This record gives sequence, structure tokens and C-alpha cells, in this order.
Amino acid sequence: MLQRKYLLTFTSDIVNEPITYKIVKSFDLLVNILRADVGDRGGRLLISVEGSGQQIEKAVQYLVNAKVQVKELNEYVNKSDERCTDCGMCLSICPVDAFEIDRISWKISFNAEKCIACGMCVDACPPQAIKISDL
Amino acid sequence: MTKVGRRITDYWDEEHMKRNYEEINSRIKKGDAVVLTAEEIIDVVQSQGVKKAAKEVDVVTTGTFGAMCSSGAFLNFGHAEPPIKMQRVWLNDVPAYAGLAAVDAYIGATEVRENGEINYGGGQVIEELIAGRPVKLRATAYGTDCYPRKGIESYVSLKTINQAYLFNPRNIYQNYAVATNSSDRTLFTYMGKLLPNYGNATFSSAGQLSPLLNDPTLRTIGIGTRIFLGGAQGYVAWEGTQYRTDVPVENGVPTGACRALAVIGDMKKMSADYVRGLYFHKYGTSLGVGIGVPIPILDDELMRSVSISDDKILAPLFDYSVESRARKPLTKITYAQLRSGSIKLHGKCVKTSSLSSYRKAKDIAEKLKRWIEEGEFLLTQPVATFTESQTFKPLDLRSQEEV
Repeated sequence: MLQRKYLLTFTSDIVNEPITYKIVKSFDLLVNILRADVGDRGGRLLISVEGSGQQIEKAVQYLVNAKVQVKELNEYVNKSDERCTDCGMCLSICPVDAFEIDRISWKISFNAEKCIACGMCVDACPPQAIKISDL
Repeated sequence: MTKVGRRITDYWDEEHMKRNYEEINSRIKKGDAVVLTAEEIIDVVQSQGVKKAAKEVDVVTTGTFGAMCSSGAFLNFGHAEPPIKMQRVWLNDVPAYAGLAAVDAYIGATEVRENGEINYGGGQVIEELIAGRPVKLRATAYGTDCYPRKGIESYVSLKTINQAYLFNPRNIYQNYAVATNSSDRTLFTYMGKLLPNYGNATFSSAGQLSPLLNDPTLRTIGIGTRIFLGGAQGYVAWEGTQYRTDVPVENGVPTGACRALAVIGDMKKMSADYVRGLYFHKYGTSLGVGIGVPIPILDDELMRSVSISDDKILAPLFDYSVESRARKPLTKITYAQLRSGSIKLHGKCVKTSSLSSYRKAKDIAEKLKRWIEEGEFLLTQPVATFTESQTFKPLDLRSQEEV
């Protein structure tokens, strides 16, 4: 089982396409919608999918064929270890505990796998060590 | 890790249970001083007792690294050709105070750019200078017979300018508040991002490692005390602004913001690892400053005070959505609880965040310990100690007659 995160961007003409339903139903993937917004020029959907590598690949192919722009997100949030002072402000902000503190070294680490790309941590970081990738 | 237990001190005055600064310094010079950090000493005192630990340990080092808004730097740029008496000065577009002699200026940590970019300010400029980076200097003047020039634009760095020293009017507060937010919107404060409905709580103290909690009445800390400041050796200059002594004490230490220090030190010897520009979203800039103070173990009483641990230090929890200086603490919480990652509030588990870095606090206490062990840092007896009793006055609206 693999877990991947994708940003799906689609134009207004395919907004009505039930793509989430399709990728759950046709490819047997566990889909978690992290963020969604639809505007007058189309929409964006940030999803986390879990399933076999083969099924994920097929689902991505389906999305591409359906004219959905697919971008895999490995590191949506990036923490600069050089700027980070290991204060821990991010610890109580992150809703999924993607930041962890080692209680021996007292260093903060960021776990990209847990991150749901909410962006809450970015404006909370006093040394401005956390940056967000352009979506 | 420690030399404790291996050797009995030979200069400890058995009868009076005391040692003095000269004795400690002569041991430091010989490389014989026994030095532990304020974290290491906790277990030693617990297992061996105060008396034995006091007999064997000469110095205990402390450390803290946190946002200290009341910080800034004095700079002297040298004279231009033709000369200028700078009336207004900007460094990387951040205003600096120039109401001093011709080419002296003071840049404060919380001063921000005038164009609305409040995420870049004096704190960032100070970090850039200490990191050795060039900074754009702009100045204007009205021109005088002796200083005819009316404007200048140039680049400066710590290499090109004369004096550059941090002079921070209020640093290393002895304890501080814990912040939370009962309102239904996120608050952006100098205590960080406070989530709605008691969504989190933030605190800012190194607790058991914090300098002024280890010598709570400042018996050994006063004017002239040599300290670790920003990676270099600095000095205590004065009592910190808002210095007060009238805060309730529990377990020997104040349970809220109490004493503080004004400190001074040469920026040219500092490191950007220990002096960092900070930005609090929608609040403004500040300066992260790393400070360590050595506590000489002159007697049992000082050993007892440096052995304080996080479970015995309490901080008051305030609701920052109450917009009043008179807000009352909701409760008091120990640093052991705060550092565990969450506290219980109204039956709910509230996640906690530290704004000061315990990792850097430890690093500073250890670095200061090494300096002393290696004979590079000698202890100083204060030239003068601070007032024993002082309150903190509020600002009220008054007429001339009421003053």
C-alpha cells in the first residue's frame, strides 16, 4: 500500500465530472480530500490517496485523460533547518502533529507524510523557517 | 560527563561553608573548576544533596534563547566626505534613531519598514549585520556649516563601521506569562499564533535553565557581570526596564514576569546562531537573543537555588483575548507540564508551544560551561547589585496637576 498526495487542477468545463467518485469506485483507492476550492475559472482539489502503486498509476492516467492537471506533492511545506531555531511554535499549530520534538536533543523535525498541506504553520513560525510550495 | 565525586574541593571553607569569586577564578585559570549546567545539577543535588553538591561544584551555567523585543544596536558609521550630520537614517529601509551625534544611530529590534512590510525590521537588520552581510545605509540631513552634506546612500557591514554593540534595555525576563485565547477567532500576538477556543497555549522561558530563575534574588548577578551574549562575552549593564520584585514567590521563584536585565556586548564577536531576526505575523519583528549567565556556587543557598527543576516553577496562564492590562490569570502551570506538549484546561487537552528554544538554551549553557572549563571565561563579582524592592508602575491618564 502506498500513500501519495496530488493537487488536481481542472477547468470549469469539467467541474461537474465526478472525479473523486470515479477514482474511489474504479480504482479502489482510499481518498482523503485535504482541500478543495471551486471558482469561476475551475477548481483545485488537494487529495491524499492510498492504494496499490499500480492502481494509483491507473487513476492518475484516468485523471490526465479527463483533462485534469495532476501534480504530485511531495513536499508542500518546507522547513529550513538552517533558519529553524527549534522553538516549537509549530507544535501546537499543526492539526495533524506533522512537527515532532525529540525530547533528548530538543530538535524539531517535520514529517512530510503526515502533512495535509493546510498551511497553518507558515505564518506561525517566528524565524520564518517554513515556506510553502507554489500550488 | 562530570567531575563530581572524583575529587573533593580543597579550598571550600568547611567552617563557614563558603567560597569566593577569587578562589573560583584561580581554579578556572588552572583548569580545575568543576562546572555543570543548570540541567545537569538537578540530578546531582537530588542524589547527593545540596551540601555535598555545593562542596564539589564551583559554577553552574544557565542559558536561554527567546524573543526579546527590547533589544537594539548602537552603530557608528564613520564620517563621509563631505561630512553629514545624519538626521534620519534607514538600514535596509528600516528607520534607525539618529538623534545622537553626527554618525551614531540606534536601531531597535521592533522597528519595521515604512512601506507596510512589517515582516522585516530592526531584528532582521541586526541579524544580517552579525551574519556579515552588507546592509544598505540611507541618511538625510538638513545640512550645517560643519556638516554640509544633505544625503547619502551607501552599503555598510560590520567590517566597514566602527563600534557596533547590542545594548538591550530589557532581556531574559525572570519567568513570563503563558498565553491562550478563549475567543472565536485566531489571535496573532507577540506570544505567537493563538488558536480560537483555547486551541493552544504558548509560553516563553527556559524554565530550569533560565538564568534569573537559578539565582532568583540576583545575589550574584548585577552591574558588570560577565555573561554569554549572542555567542560572545557580554556584560550586564543595568537593571532591565520594568524590573520588579513584587511578584508572588512559590518554591523560591517568582510565578510571573519579574526581574530582567539590560545587557551590552560587541556585535562584531557575535554569531547569527545566537542572534536571530524574528517575525510574529501581524504583530511585527523582534530579536531572538541567546544569553547565558554563570552562577558561582558561593554557598549552600546558591546550590539550592540552582537545583530548581521545571516541576517547581510556575507560570500564570492569561487569556490574551481579554484586551486589558488588568487581566487575571486563569491558573498557574508548571514548566514540566508546559514542556510535556499539552495541558489540561476546563477538562480539555490543550496543546502547548514554546516560543523560546530549549535546544538553544541547552546549547548556550553547555558552551558557557566549556568556556569556563577551558579557562576562557572568568567570573565577575557585580560592581553593584540591584534594588531589593521595586514595583512596576502603570501608565495612567493624568492632568499636569495629577502627576
